[in-house]
Amino acid sequence: MLAVTSLSINAPFWFNVRPQGPNFFALNMGLCLPFALGLSVAFPKRKVIAIDSDGSLMNDSSSLITVADVNPANLVAFVMDNGSYAFMSSTFTTRKTDLAKMAQGAGIANASTVKTLEEFSAAAKQAMESAGPTLIVAKVERDAGRVSADRSRTSGRPMREWFMDAVRRHPDYQGGR
Amino acid sequence: MDKQSVQVIIETLKEEGIDLAVTLPEEPTFSLTEAMREDPFFQAVTVAGEGNGLAFCAGAALGGRRVVFVTGIAGLLVGTWALSQMGMVYGAPILILASYRGDFGDHSGIPGSQLLMFKQVAEPLLGALRVPYRIVNQKATLKRMIQEGSFACQDYSHPIVLLLSGEVLW
Repeated sequence: MLAVTSLSINAPFWFNVRPQGPNFFALNMGLCLPFALGLSVAFPKRKVIAIDSDGSLMNDSSSLITVADVNPANLVAFVMDNGSYAFMSSTFTTRKTDLAKMAQGAGIANASTVKTLEEFSAAAKQAMESAGPTLIVAKVERDAGRVSADRSRTSGRPMREWFMDAVRRHPDYQGGR
Repeated sequence: MDKQSVQVIIETLKEEGIDLAVTLPEEPTFSLTEAMREDPFFQAVTVAGEGNGLAFCAGAALGGRRVVFVTGIAGLLVGTWALSQMGMVYGAPILILASYRGDFGDHSGIPGSQLLMFKQVAEPLLGALRVPYRIVNQKATLKRMIQEGSFACQDYSHPIVLLLSGEVLW
């Protein structure tokens, strides 16, 4: 499994879950989901998970259309929707915007919203065991996932080199042909 | 773009092992992207926006795929945010073929104020983004420029832009 995260809360959160392996952390606004989509095309036999956020996805929601059109069976996108930009202000999902419905409208049939840990676990298990693409909007508390992480492992060029080292060791890596 | 340019580009991309072609269709390069779509060698992907297209290319390229992004100056303008991130920050090796709208010889009929804007903005924009580029306007140099651009983007580990113009494009 390969993983890609958006920045802010999601990067240190995922680092605390899985610090080793092919993780690309802290992609800036709007870039997490499409980057993960590209990775899913490079590793078609492996699950690629995107850990995106509501603010990031809304910054380039047309990526939902691209995901639907490419239709990768191995892509699972989690949108950690805390209803705010990091810990600041509130996003549109606290008012009228429904990201799961947007994803469905874009053509991602397996799109849903979960609001409890039990719902999340069941949806995640199903997504990891079945063909996608799947998008799960997880409603989370604003500050629930705030943890610290080693920035040299979770941002910028040093992170990129950790990622490349892990990817090049992956048995499915096609680079260097 | 005429058949000769299309054929040279496709043959050279194949020789370079570039088999993932990403585009948001635009008029001057439409014949190229359609030819790629019809050629089983390529995995052709149409994106809904240039920003997510460039991020998609970066994920694929850092994952080991050889990728070409076909766009135009307008597309590069739209994708500036993604290009800055995937270039300067993450060094993704993406070969970009861009129609040089607004360059001398663009008789496409779109308003001159638009053409002038493209002409004034394109090269300073790429310079500001620190994206190496070449203008390719002669068919005799097209193959070599693609080969060298492909080598450079892998060697630099950075996006490279070939601005297609002149007899290559029009």
